[in-house]
Amino acid sequence: MQSDMIIGMEVHIQLNTNTKLFCGCKIENAQPNTRTCPVCLGHPGSRPTLNKRAIEYATKMALALQSTIASQLVFSRKTYFYPDMGKNYQITQYETPLAENGTVVLSDGTKVRIKRLHVEEDPAGMVHEEGLSLVDYNRSGIPLIEVVTEPDMISPEQAREFMKKLQSILAYLDIFASDGIIKADVNVSVKSSGFERVEVKNVTGFKEIERCVEYEVKRQQTDTVVKETRAWNAELGRTRSLRLKESEEDYGYITDPDLVVRPIEPAFVESIQKTLPELPEEKTARFVKEHKLDAIDARIIAAEPDVAALYEESSKQVSPVLAARWVRRELLRSLNTQGKKLKDTPLRAHHVIPLFKLIENKQITDRVGQKLIRELAEEPFDVAERVQKEGLTAVSDTGEIGTAVDETLSENPQALQDFKQGEAKAFEFLMGQIMRKTKGKALPDVVRKLLEEKIK
Amino acid sequence: MKDYIQKMQTGGDIVSAITAFVEESKKINEDNHYFTVITEAQAIEQAKNIQKQALTKKFPLAGLPFTVKDGICVQGVETTASSAILKGYKPVFNATAVQRMIDAGAIFIGKTVQDEFGFGALGITQGKGFQAPKHPDDPELCCGGSSSGGGGFTKKIPGAHASLGESTGGSIEAPAAFCGVVGLCPTYSRVSRYGLLDYGTSLDKIGPLTKTLPEAATILQVIAGHDKKDETSSQEPVPDYAASLGNIKGLRIAKIKEAFAEGVDESIKNSVHEKLTELEKQGATVREVSLPSLKEGIATYFTIALSEASTNLAKYCGMRYGQSGSMNTSFDEYFTKIRTHHMGEEAKRRVLIGTFARMAGYRDAFYNKALKVRTKIIQEYKQAFKACDVLSSPTMPILPPKQTEAHNLTPLQHLMCDVLTVGPNLAGLPHVSVPAGKAGIMFIADHFKEEELFRTHAE
Repeated sequence: MQSDMIIGMEVHIQLNTNTKLFCGCKIENAQPNTRTCPVCLGHPGSRPTLNKRAIEYATKMALALQSTIASQLVFSRKTYFYPDMGKNYQITQYETPLAENGTVVLSDGTKVRIKRLHVEEDPAGMVHEEGLSLVDYNRSGIPLIEVVTEPDMISPEQAREFMKKLQSILAYLDIFASDGIIKADVNVSVKSSGFERVEVKNVTGFKEIERCVEYEVKRQQTDTVVKETRAWNAELGRTRSLRLKESEEDYGYITDPDLVVRPIEPAFVESIQKTLPELPEEKTARFVKEHKLDAIDARIIAAEPDVAALYEESSKQVSPVLAARWVRRELLRSLNTQGKKLKDTPLRAHHVIPLFKLIENKQITDRVGQKLIRELAEEPFDVAERVQKEGLTAVSDTGEIGTAVDETLSENPQALQDFKQGEAKAFEFLMGQIMRKTKGKALPDVVRKLLEEKIK
Repeated sequence: MKDYIQKMQTGGDIVSAITAFVEESKKINEDNHYFTVITEAQAIEQAKNIQKQALTKKFPLAGLPFTVKDGICVQGVETTASSAILKGYKPVFNATAVQRMIDAGAIFIGKTVQDEFGFGALGITQGKGFQAPKHPDDPELCCGGSSSGGGGFTKKIPGAHASLGESTGGSIEAPAAFCGVVGLCPTYSRVSRYGLLDYGTSLDKIGPLTKTLPEAATILQVIAGHDKKDETSSQEPVPDYAASLGNIKGLRIAKIKEAFAEGVDESIKNSVHEKLTELEKQGATVREVSLPSLKEGIATYFTIALSEASTNLAKYCGMRYGQSGSMNTSFDEYFTKIRTHHMGEEAKRRVLIGTFARMAGYRDAFYNKALKVRTKIIQEYKQAFKACDVLSSPTMPILPPKQTEAHNLTPLQHLMCDVLTVGPNLAGLPHVSVPAGKAGIMFIADHFKEEELFRTHAE
């Protein structure tokens, strides 16, 4: 079956090394043009010397994407004239990328083939103002990897999932700083145009890449499509034409004679392989197989290393299924509502484990559990202490609950009447009222039983 | 040089010597145009400094005045590779070779003029606004290029002195042969290229121009060796070069058959043969070897050198340093305007040819093919060194022409002047041009075997 669209990506990812790719300048936020030296400014006579850490990081990523690592490390010069490159050529990899032929498998089984992964230096940052172009060479020479996919994605959802997977793997490998640069060139071709190739250049940030793909697919399905290069305007949420693509640009690549061609020894690749952590795919599979988790729960929990770690620790003390349910449905939802990522909060497993235990032993109700987890997501505290102090322990005493039932029934004669006339909903309403009266502490099973006895 | 250094190491008056040297240099330069800049105040300051330190420290080059080809960076001193586009550019660092000379106690005197960015074999294609240096013996003749000012000055100045030159395809050897001095081009990667304004990155070598072969050995001893700022610089240990000087007995010399063919001036062939006969008398053996691939040398060399040069020169665009202009157009138009205005004809020609050779669709036919031929040429040399210690040939095919005549040469005739020197340069082999009569004789050794070159020294 032919798909309605094909999507491919070239994703540029900043590696979180301490120093730049070809010089010792620090990578850190600083006043413009204060983290520079003759090398990253391209001064005549200066020369690049390779940051080996960057190659280690890039190799990690290549292995995590199941790619084949090249036998030699070769850098090339890509020549173009623009103020953002001190040398007017960018040192990148051309004929021989670091790695080729990788794969990312999406949740629906789609295999996104990774054509190549290569290492290159970032150009300087530029800001264009009216009649003025400002250049910041702090960025010049920062190590990037470029991950190039085949056009194997057939929906914006797949493109989004692909990006999420990349993000997840990067987090596990710890090679990408969350404030680092991630930008993509997005290729979208739709069936209605006869799959005319349109490339959108330089879309920055995970969120924008998603938005751009969605926009571009819609645009192409409703607009006239020509083979061209477009730009993404994040403010307007639109793409605009940059240039018609009549032929590929000619960068006149040659091997960079300043950088020694190095063999990439199998021993090096093996040593990197050994440092790879268990990756999200493997973790998901293990959670499903060994912990009997639901596949979706497992995948969502495994996507972020901090979440997975918190879950795993919890699963050793309470039932894994219970821990998974509470992590995914309650904890992640609460964090999400508060616009937070777990790794950015001080919340750890030792905060939630006592809570999960209380829930598992029915010492608190689910409702109290939900309230507590929301509060934990805001700011961690000692759960046992809080439960004691606020008297949140679940109530199972039938006398106490019975009083609450009686009071509720006398306060809500209409609901009682509705129920008697066959409205099942009224029962749930009464349940809710009783729970509220007991501040959510009454065990729902007990409430249900007593209420049924009273009115049936 | 040896006596001079010894004197300065043992309490000689370095400041007076340098003051006199600078005066003499200025006088010579008035008529001959060897320098782009003479740094008098800096030289005397440095002389005072070394003079003071020499009381407690033995500098291997104590007080030795040295000059540097314009395209090699000297901190705070205008460095332009004799191109108008870099007018006013002062590097913030010293080239490693320069730093090593300074650390050895040598005194920097000034920058010597060259063909623009090293583009020229005759010493007549300086950038706009630069004057061609005059031949030390006959002002009408060419000095040879591209380290032309260094060659001419080394011959003209009477006292102890060394000049740092740079060779991509023959730029040390040509001026040495034309001016009658010694020009040593070391193995590629033997001397750090850090701070050298690149011509052909995979071909560029810094080396000394001196009056004698032992002097060249002294300078190489100082500037050779690994430098972590240049990844390509070799980790091979540096031997004691002086130890092999004049060790002629048993030296196996093979003269390259193709280098004595038609097109090489007869008087040059005679001078070279006389020199070889002399070495034979002192215990060397001379036979002949054929290196047929050398005929591909010129095409291979220029394809690689110009492809690399066209990327190396991309940075010279009127932004960040050197010349600039008002930017009221697009970036592309601005760069074009600046480059068109400030680059000389030969530089433009070479950048255009190099850019063409690496374009998609042509890259395989030119650049990639040239890399393969280069490998073949290297193999042929390696084979030859199984049966000899040094190869020999004339350095230049012609005697220095008149500058007026040289300007009438076609671009191809100009390129052909490099025909004998491109071979060892392409192969990255160490080689030296030594005076032989009115010409220069070239000796070539295997990689990192510079000591074999020093064996040819006849007392």
